[in-house]
Amino acid sequence: MKPFAYAKVATADEAAGLLKQRNTRVIAGGTDLLGLMKERLVEPDRLVDLSGISQLRGISATRETFRVGALTTLAELAAHQATPPIVKEALADAATPQLRNMATVGGNLVQRNRCWYFRSAEHRCWLKGGPRCLAIDGDSRYHAIFGEGECRQVTPSDLVPALIALDATVVMRTDEGEDSLPLAQLYVAPTARHRREHNVGDDDLIVAVRIGGDALHRRGAYLKFMERATWQFAIASVAVSAGVVDGRAQDVRIVAGGVANVPWRVKAAEDLLTGERIDDARALAVAERFVRDARPLRDNAYKVTVLRELVRRGVLRLRD
Amino acid sequence: MAGRTRVVKTRSEFEGRVSEELALVQGRDLRAWPADAELREVGRERPRVDGVQRVSGRARYNSDLVLPGMLHARVLRSPHPHARVTRIETKRAQSLPGVRAIVHRFNEADHFAEEVRFVGDHVAAVAAESEAVADDALRLIDVEYDVLPFVVDLEDAMKDRSRAKRDDAQSRGDVRKGFKDADAVVDVTYRTSTALHNCLEPHGCVAAWDGDRLTLYESTQALFDVRSGVAEKLKLDVGDVRVLCDFMGGGFGSKLGDGHYTVLAAVLARRTGRPVRLFLDRHEENLAAGNRSATVQRIRAGGTKDGRITALEHLAWSGTGTEDGWVAGATGPSSTVYDVPNVRTEQYLVLTDTGPFCAFRAPGYVEGTFALESAIDELAERLGVDPLAMRKKCYARRDPQGDRPFSLKRLDQCYARGAELIGWSKRKVGGTPARTSHLRRGLGMATQFWGSAGGPPAYATVHLNVDGTAVVRSGTQDIGSGTRTALAQIAAEELGLELGKIRVASGDTDAPYTPASGGSWTTPSTGPAVRLAAADARRQLFEVAAGLMEVRPTEIRFSNGHLVAGRGGRKITVRDVLERFKNYTVIGTGARHPNPSDLRLGSFGAQFADVEVDTRTGFVRVVKIVAVHQVGRVVNPRNARSQVEGGVLQGLGFALLEGRVLDLPSGHVLNANLEDYHLPTVKDAPDIVVEFIPDPDARSNNLGGIGLGEPPIIPTAGAIANAIANACGARVRTLPITPPRLLEALRR
Repeated sequence: MKPFAYAKVATADEAAGLLKQRNTRVIAGGTDLLGLMKERLVEPDRLVDLSGISQLRGISATRETFRVGALTTLAELAAHQATPPIVKEALADAATPQLRNMATVGGNLVQRNRCWYFRSAEHRCWLKGGPRCLAIDGDSRYHAIFGEGECRQVTPSDLVPALIALDATVVMRTDEGEDSLPLAQLYVAPTARHRREHNVGDDDLIVAVRIGGDALHRRGAYLKFMERATWQFAIASVAVSAGVVDGRAQDVRIVAGGVANVPWRVKAAEDLLTGERIDDARALAVAERFVRDARPLRDNAYKVTVLRELVRRGVLRLRD
Repeated sequence: MAGRTRVVKTRSEFEGRVSEELALVQGRDLRAWPADAELREVGRERPRVDGVQRVSGRARYNSDLVLPGMLHARVLRSPHPHARVTRIETKRAQSLPGVRAIVHRFNEADHFAEEVRFVGDHVAAVAAESEAVADDALRLIDVEYDVLPFVVDLEDAMKDRSRAKRDDAQSRGDVRKGFKDADAVVDVTYRTSTALHNCLEPHGCVAAWDGDRLTLYESTQALFDVRSGVAEKLKLDVGDVRVLCDFMGGGFGSKLGDGHYTVLAAVLARRTGRPVRLFLDRHEENLAAGNRSATVQRIRAGGTKDGRITALEHLAWSGTGTEDGWVAGATGPSSTVYDVPNVRTEQYLVLTDTGPFCAFRAPGYVEGTFALESAIDELAERLGVDPLAMRKKCYARRDPQGDRPFSLKRLDQCYARGAELIGWSKRKVGGTPARTSHLRRGLGMATQFWGSAGGPPAYATVHLNVDGTAVVRSGTQDIGSGTRTALAQIAAEELGLELGKIRVASGDTDAPYTPASGGSWTTPSTGPAVRLAAADARRQLFEVAAGLMEVRPTEIRFSNGHLVAGRGGRKITVRDVLERFKNYTVIGTGARHPNPSDLRLGSFGAQFADVEVDTRTGFVRVVKIVAVHQVGRVVNPRNARSQVEGGVLQGLGFALLEGRVLDLPSGHVLNANLEDYHLPTVKDAPDIVVEFIPDPDARSNNLGGIGLGEPPIIPTAGAIANAIANACGARVRTLPITPPRLLEALRR
């Protein structure tokens, strides 16, 4: 690990001031950042430790809105009584208890991907400035089945698909002050000029995540597929939510993780369910539509099969 | 036991290799305790004597050791699978504050090769004041490589004839005739992946010199082999090397001798005049600490409608990695397990430019048993015969390869008890439905044989102190399997003392010689020596007591910790006897006697698996494993069950999860960490039911029991693979059985 300077701050203002310095990164739980630093994939000169900013930690909930501070740990979020069930379900499968005790909500949103070429210090992959994605001719068993970008990494978070399925917004503090935008908009497929999985700047601060209004009362389910029973990033996951009125689905959200550069939605599949009764045939049709445009690599066609089944089961869970 | 010392020839089997050597023994051996003997300690459930130390963090592992003035070493490793090291420039690294020594092939030519042969091969090593400084220094060493062609994939390497050589071939009968007599023949190819040990405690040591004498604190399964290996490489007398290992965090076969880290630590310590610590990190563990090599195995098996196997042919190719040494063959089970009249096996070793093979818990037999037991099930299915019935039809009453009687074989009882515990009678062809329509349940089983039974040379002494306590002194290492507890129980039994009065002082090459803790050798090699040493100490104690009690030694017996003379005679305690003599130590000695030469020794067992298969996603949940094994007398059933559970979990990992992933274009290991190399977690653990056949193996050694270290991992993968095939009708012939492989098999 490269030596670095370290400062612990007590307020967001203080943090924002320090973050203006060159090559400075924030650290919260550190569960991703420290691994990246040990592998020298990132080599900051300075770390600004946010863990002392108490205003950024904690959960407030009413019938109308649910707000979780960025420094709240995954364990705290999972344990809170007002946390929506679909989020709890996602967190139950996320990482391990030890990691959930350290990892924060804010850090989870901007964690880097787990592609083994990206994570290997010895490989200079496209995302790290190399000429091409190494997974395409290499071992692609865990890589993307959707999208057409140069890079085949996939979104690692369990929390993010669940939050997007509830139309969550993220509150950011930027140079221009506090700003709030739909969480889904943080995620963009990397481009040659912006080789990053999201558009949060190194000097931006995530303040909180908010879920509002009707979304809080939708039905939902989170399904995650792993090769072993626990402690693996999703091979594929799906968060499904909908309001169900008189047996018919509305406000349908189907968000898949682990299958594309960004949390993946297929509007046409959601439309197929909107206003319809949820039954076996409908669930299968929605699932088929969701994966119709998948373009797997050499080693990961099975992910299409798995994802289709997760979507089918997720949709059927809305009936319960 | 004391007596005339003589040289005996001994024949023994270690990790599938049979060898003959000479050993020194004294006097006569004791007979094994009879089956109905009422034993106070041996065979009883006892918590580990060092359990509290281990779970409270007080047990000191060598990787925790900090010596005064100790330096930290790190190793620079090759980024190329095959290259010539043409130049090394260390000026920049040398000038980094805190760097004390750098070694490489241009200043320590004996310990570095000109050619690096795999990604992770050692190129240079740095000793510095801290690990961080040593790490930084590695990045400042400039190495010029002449990159050479390489092949990392086993099947790619098999295409190059110069890379494959035939290692072993066995045959009996006439396979061509056997296939002609068959009603059905299966001809199938199985594949297994390279498995990595991932011991919790990494490989490494702390090396310290005192003048010309070297002390190594090494994490090892084989103290005495580390001693001889390092002495040879550093041109030292064996007596000038002492190796110590008190507690050990897992080896599984990968720590059966000195490693490059041992020698480099010693060399750096000699150059700097300070102790040097060199332990690998997790990434290095997965590159340069050995592996169970990948295999390709072709099996042809023919059988008749009445369930007999008429012919069996097993050809196996194992990737060696780059070391030109021993690789455990996979064909052993096919020539030794069943009574098949016509058998032919051939084993090929294939050179790949990857990390070298090393022993891994029943090396070869785990891979070979998976293939053989899968093939038998496939043949049984083809013939419409129950797979267990087919195995019983070719039950070998005598060793089919050497035509000798077994010292003990209760495999039939393992089959019967296992079948009962798993509910084999409810097994249906095509499996059974489960909770929902996409889930299927199935049962499968596999047989285990393992020929290791321990042997000489192994020595121990037992010291009786004046306070009525005893010390068992024996070099052997406790690699986590409970050796210390087992040896204490054996000594307590023979001395008539309580377990708490026995201390086992082991893990030191300055103590009597014992063999490596591999090949399921520890208890059946060292245990009998400890028993003889304890009996010798007791004999001396009785002689002293006889004088005090004015009776003949033969009239004295033990009863509840007291020495009792004659019928209803005087009672005195051991302490009473010994306290008459201030500062006196009774020393008993014991040497392991040879194995019987006219018998085939070995352990048998059967495991039965109950699995649930998700036919839509290819996910397999192992619901239950029943493991019934025969190893003769079990010294401590509690520890023994724990060994079986560990073996089953490791076997489950091999069956469903584990496999090194190589990037073929670069030759790098992609999953060299515990996140991507998937070991089973506690959530993956099935219900594991363990039983042992209680009969002692009276002719094996004076304990009447042989080792259990390796047997439990042998049949697990085969049983699981067969259960999956039974559940859903899809046969996956490649391990691990991952969702993509199972989904593909389900589509066919």
